Amino acid sequence: MSEQQLSNLIKMLEQIIANNLHQGEAAEVAEVAATHVHNFWARSMKQLIINLANTHPEQLSTVALQAVVLLQAKSVGQPASFNP
Amino acid sequence: MLQYYDPNSSDTTNPQPLNPNTDYGTPASESKTLVSVAVDGRNITVPEGTSVLRAAALAGINIPKLCASDNLEAFGSCRLCAVEIEGRRGYPASCTTPVAEGMSVTTQTGKLAKLRRNIMELYISDHPLDCLTCPANGDCELQDMAGAVGLREVRYGFDGENHLDTQTDNSNPYFSFDPSKCIVCSRCVRACAEVQGTFALTIEGRGFDSKVVASQNDSFMNSECVSCGACVQACPTSTLMEKTVIDAGIPEHSVVTTCAYCGVGCSFKAEMKGDQLIRMVPYKGGAANQGHSCVKGRFAFGYATHKDRIKEPMIRASIDDPWQVVSWDEALAFSAKRLKAIQAQYGRESIGGITSSRCTNEETYLVQKLVRAAFGNNNTDTCARVCHSPTGYGLKTTMGESAGTQTFDSVMKADTIVVIGANPTDAHPVFGSQLRRRLRQGAQLIVIDPRRIDLLSTPHAGKGIHLALRPGTNVAVVNALAHVIVTEGLEDQAFISSRCDTEAYNRWRSFIAEQRNSPEAMEAVSGVPASTVREAARAYAEVENAAIYYGLGVTEHSQGSTMVMGIANLAMATGNIGREGGGVNPLRGQNNVQGSCDMGSFPHELPGYQHVNDDVVRSRFEAAWGATIDHEPGLRIPNMFDAAIAGTFKGLYIQGEDIAQSDPNTQHVEAALRALDCVIVQDIFLNETAKFAHVLLPGSTFLEKNGTFTNAERRINRVRKVMAPIAGMEDWQVTMALSNALGYPMHYNHPSEIMDEIAALTPTFTGVSYDKLEQLGSIQWPCNDKHPEGMPTMHVNDFPIGKGRFAVTEYLATEERSSRRFPLLLTTGRILSQYNVGSQTRRTDNSKWHEQDVLEIHPSDAELRGIHDGDWLGISSRVGHTVLRAQLSERMLPGVVYTTFHHPGSGANVVTTDNSDWATNCPEYKVTAVQVEVVSQPSEWQRNFKRFDKRQQKLLKPAMHNEGSQHAKPTD
Ligand code: SF4
Ligand code: SF4
Ligand code: SF4
Ligand code: FES
Repeated sequence: MSEQQLSNLIKMLEQIIANNLHQGEAAEVAEVAATHVHNFWARSMKQLIINLANTHPEQLSTVALQAVVLLQAKSVGQPASFNP
Repeated sequence: MLQYYDPNSSDTTNPQPLNPNTDYGTPASESKTLVSVAVDGRNITVPEGTSVLRAAALAGINIPKLCASDNLEAFGSCRLCAVEIEGRRGYPASCTTPVAEGMSVTTQTGKLAKLRRNIMELYISDHPLDCLTCPANGDCELQDMAGAVGLREVRYGFDGENHLDTQTDNSNPYFSFDPSKCIVCSRCVRACAEVQGTFALTIEGRGFDSKVVASQNDSFMNSECVSCGACVQACPTSTLMEKTVIDAGIPEHSVVTTCAYCGVGCSFKAEMKGDQLIRMVPYKGGAANQGHSCVKGRFAFGYATHKDRIKEPMIRASIDDPWQVVSWDEALAFSAKRLKAIQAQYGRESIGGITSSRCTNEETYLVQKLVRAAFGNNNTDTCARVCHSPTGYGLKTTMGESAGTQTFDSVMKADTIVVIGANPTDAHPVFGSQLRRRLRQGAQLIVIDPRRIDLLSTPHAGKGIHLALRPGTNVAVVNALAHVIVTEGLEDQAFISSRCDTEAYNRWRSFIAEQRNSPEAMEAVSGVPASTVREAARAYAEVENAAIYYGLGVTEHSQGSTMVMGIANLAMATGNIGREGGGVNPLRGQNNVQGSCDMGSFPHELPGYQHVNDDVVRSRFEAAWGATIDHEPGLRIPNMFDAAIAGTFKGLYIQGEDIAQSDPNTQHVEAALRALDCVIVQDIFLNETAKFAHVLLPGSTFLEKNGTFTNAERRINRVRKVMAPIAGMEDWQVTMALSNALGYPMHYNHPSEIMDEIAALTPTFTGVSYDKLEQLGSIQWPCNDKHPEGMPTMHVNDFPIGKGRFAVTEYLATEERSSRRFPLLLTTGRILSQYNVGSQTRRTDNSKWHEQDVLEIHPSDAELRGIHDGDWLGISSRVGHTVLRAQLSERMLPGVVYTTFHHPGSGANVVTTDNSDWATNCPEYKVTAVQVEVVSQPSEWQRNFKRFDKRQQKLLKPAMHNEGSQHAKPTD
């Protein structure tokens, strides 16, 4: 993990949110963002943003934090890791 | 369509299928009315408007001709094609005489024979009699016609006034112009006008003094000529002739294959002598190009035999070591061992693979299969990430399929043509010529681009509407256009209510109708006058058929995906979907951008855009591949770089892609590459990325392998091997061998078997096979039970997602804004003669047209900074600094500067940032805030680049000359 990697992930998540603000209330925007991240981000990236939300929530906007919570929920039920 | 052979023309009433190798004399008629005529007693039915010459050719009767060709309008100057027609006086020219019902034509009588001999006598009396030593000997229509008319003597002698001493123009690197052989048939002039649309040639003077001149009597090289080769192709003599033919003689066999440069996907006959490629001749039977070409595909093939080709596998322990030549087995074993060791130490997800849109479908399919099945992760990506990934996202979201909707020919039915962020005459030249032809027929052009592109100055076309917007404001403009359509009642309500999702439409409609999206409100943002936007919106929405073509000026933005959705909204709102003349058409940059996306190169999608987290999809692939596939998407290219710098991503297999030159923020990419423990590059040259590699696997050019490319119209074309791969293995075989070395078995005997596997696993490809490609020539996917011969126009009755989904496209300014420190906006693009990173075209004479990248700057910005044409300019952005020469240009508005990135030492991407599209991470190449100033020396990056390049060339040299110890083993 590097500072730059984390700051890029934060930027990416906030950018997804900014481009979906028109989707409605914060909860809806968070849902759209979480679904997007769920569908397009690699496992390691998801893990990094989840860890960040837990350790440094102040670095994320409220909607981003909400999105990460939803993202975490989406991962429930999926195998935590993958063993080919 | 161009006027070449048209496989879909109404000439199919003819029982014999048209032969692309036959010249039918004049173009096909489009008429649906049929007329019957008799030619030499043979009855034939042809469409009304067909010439007698063509009708005869269709009946298998070849009337002598010189000035006619089936890609040009009949001209009637040589009179060699004279015939007798019952009930008519004289000897009309058959090329300019249309057939009429019941007409009876005689093509051979004593009088006609005499007339034709007289004509030939006149031609030959002013023509050198050096047939035996002429380069066209054996491939000369004049010679053929002399034989056909039975010319035996030239009564006028050869001593009169003639042109035999005129000088040859050798200025063009690829063809020569020897006016002493010219018969002034004007085929070249007409080809340049009608086929290419450049109008560089004219006939100057009259009668005996008439001659062909380029531009204002310039040499070809100094004229407006763009070296497309259409005139060379059209010339019936050796006047215009390829230099390779002059040097090597007439080729003796040919193979039809597909150009490996741009997304037009032109078909060519590779004409050979033994295993030597003599010339590439555009193939009339190719549905994408119908016999036309551009300077790249036609002439720039010399790189295939360039001395810099990597001919043997090589390895080295670190990038500071010299390269060592090894056997394939050793190179593959070394690679496999390193990759496995990395995974053992850093985890399964610590390695990945990148494939290129230059590779075939079969190759890209195998690379993603290797990553998913042998590496055991989904860290696979393609260079399409950095160009058209937003197209995939935007079109799939709105219309359900990640592809353009039309054929190229569809443009010939468009009444209004909108070109957004694309420059077809440079980047998709053959399609650019077709588009210009439609503009000459009267279609309205709308260009949305910060730069005044050449299409806007199409000779003999009407005035185009240019929306010269500020870089980064596409979405503002597309919203303003939609606002006008919605608020002025220009929507196609019938289409919307029957074909589109009502709820999504209503949401979009109320958003777009808001005053803040009006042209007047957006004018301050985009810089485009509201009245021009309103004019453009009406010109788009009020006609029967309106088509949108777009390029990287749409996708390579922080709102690239939003803009693609905005374009789809426009087309759906006006009902311009599902028929010829309309549509949404992404102009794919490289030859196989469409294919590499189709083949599952993206980390989240298996072939056919099937998501990896879909259990049903995954299990089908798992069963076929005998491997478990991760359900989580993998890393995209920029994410790989970040992970490499963070130390968690350590190994990369790169096939045919030069990320060190083509990706943005070069210094960041270089840092990532240096951080990797194992970089395996499979390429034809030591490209910029290979300088950071530990394994170099020789790649093969498109001439050395079998496979398929899919062009921008979803057309799958065959690539056929014309010479042996330089290092013994085609690229798909190398990937297969690497997989086997890693312990995941792959066994294919031919790429056709890979295509069979693709067809079995990809719903849009189930009907595709090499056999069917042989039968049909090419196939536009989807090709399956529903569309057994493919589908030229998409979404005719419905969308793959059922109803079209309008998307709300809120404009959001990019973070990359001009400021006091960086007051100018830099945007990047391509030019005609060079291709992307230039590793191919820079190794051909195409460099004579573009020896270096320059910075185009508006004279007013230049004056402000004391800049003159040709000055060295330092260009600084928030991430880097480089130096280029200045070129004053009024193509852009003040405040905008422009450059290309075809030369690695230019460092254009040293200044571009790693800002990217919100949905896909496609980099924002098109907007970088910069400052420029006159400087006197190269930038620090450029000096380092030079040093590093010199060192890496030195480390390669012994291996290239086989000086090092053969097959030595570096320690790993
Ligand atoms: S090469 Fe092409 S552009 Fe040049 S003169 Fe010939 S037809 Fe015109
Ligand atoms: S250069 Fe060739 S095509 Fe052109 S007028 Fe002369 S003979 Fe005809
Ligand atoms: S580069 Fe493009 S337009 Fe030119 S010949 Fe090749 S495919 Fe055709
Ligand atoms: S071919 Fe008909 S006049 Fe020349």
